[in-house]
Amino acid sequence: MKNYEQLTSLEIDTLREIGSIGTGNAATALSQMMNREVRITLPEVRIMGYNEAIEWIGGPEEVTAGVLVKMSGDVGGIMLSVQKLELVNVVLQTMLGTSISGYESLTELEQSAMVEIGNIMISTFINALSGLADVHIKVTVPAFAVDMQGAILTVPMAEYGGMSDYLMAIGGNFVCDGKEVPCHLLLSPDLRSLDFLLRKLGVCDE
Amino acid sequence: MKMLQGEGILVTYALGSCIGLCFHDPRLHLGALLHIMLPLNMESGRTHPMKYADTGIKETLKQMEARGASRSRMTVKIAGGAKMFEISGGSGLGNIGQRNIESVHAILKRENIRLLAENVGGKVARTLLFDVASGQGCIRSYGQKDIIF
Repeated sequence: MKNYEQLTSLEIDTLREIGSIGTGNAATALSQMMNREVRITLPEVRIMGYNEAIEWIGGPEEVTAGVLVKMSGDVGGIMLSVQKLELVNVVLQTMLGTSISGYESLTELEQSAMVEIGNIMISTFINALSGLADVHIKVTVPAFAVDMQGAILTVPMAEYGGMSDYLMAIGGNFVCDGKEVPCHLLLSPDLRSLDFLLRKLGVCDE
Repeated sequence: MKMLQGEGILVTYALGSCIGLCFHDPRLHLGALLHIMLPLNMESGRTHPMKYADTGIKETLKQMEARGASRSRMTVKIAGGAKMFEISGGSGLGNIGQRNIESVHAILKRENIRLLAENVGGKVARTLLFDVASGQGCIRSYGQKDIIF
């Protein structure tokens, strides 16, 4: 069984490609929901350690909103969508005509809209992944939390931390109404599933 | 794990289900701050002992004792072990915080270390600051007042 740190460059490229297709689909879904053009800059897909991932999304103590689902079926693991305030406001502005200055002022309706956004992005991503690799993936109902992002990120790390210190982070910028807003998705399949996935995609060199 | 003697503040950021342990020997003004992520070390290679409650606590005690600390004087304060997400369907996910708390309690008892104070469980992340001179801890959480313990 492979660890993230043992992946070959071909395998990492494959994961990168999946990330790219997945976020592309997520942008399309977002665009349909908001009924306006959403483009996405070329996403960056990286395999990184926990500390590196925290710095990458902006430091441990910064407060952010996270939507999390657990995957099961052919591929097990966790997928997490980290939603920065800029993205939240663009979405709320178009969907509800409101905006927030901080997460503490989220109303129930706004929170529900954010869960839905996270859910759609995660689901379209997983759809793309399962279509590409021809696997079946089930997801749980999304869970939502607003807190320090360091703690939100430890959830996938703690769940699989006994096996690996790495996770796959996908980051891109959505461009909507001329505004560029960051979007981060974190995928952490368990190692058995990562192995299975790479084999299904035909790039595992064993 | 970070260790400091004399004066100064040790910090660990954004504890979710993880637990921060402040070890203190008041006579030596020696303090150590350990941040554990999981309850039990089941790694075969044991490359990251500080990540786990069992091996992390043992290793911290060993290093403190090497600097002259005594278990009879030593106290511990702990914080963390929250449940960040409520997942419907009741899988094991999210219970890691609770398992960490139980494991830390059991190991401290076994190692004969006095647990002086704790602020654990709940649903909020905590940043933990530990003043090694006084042994005082401070917890910072999002949307809440700081807690001194």
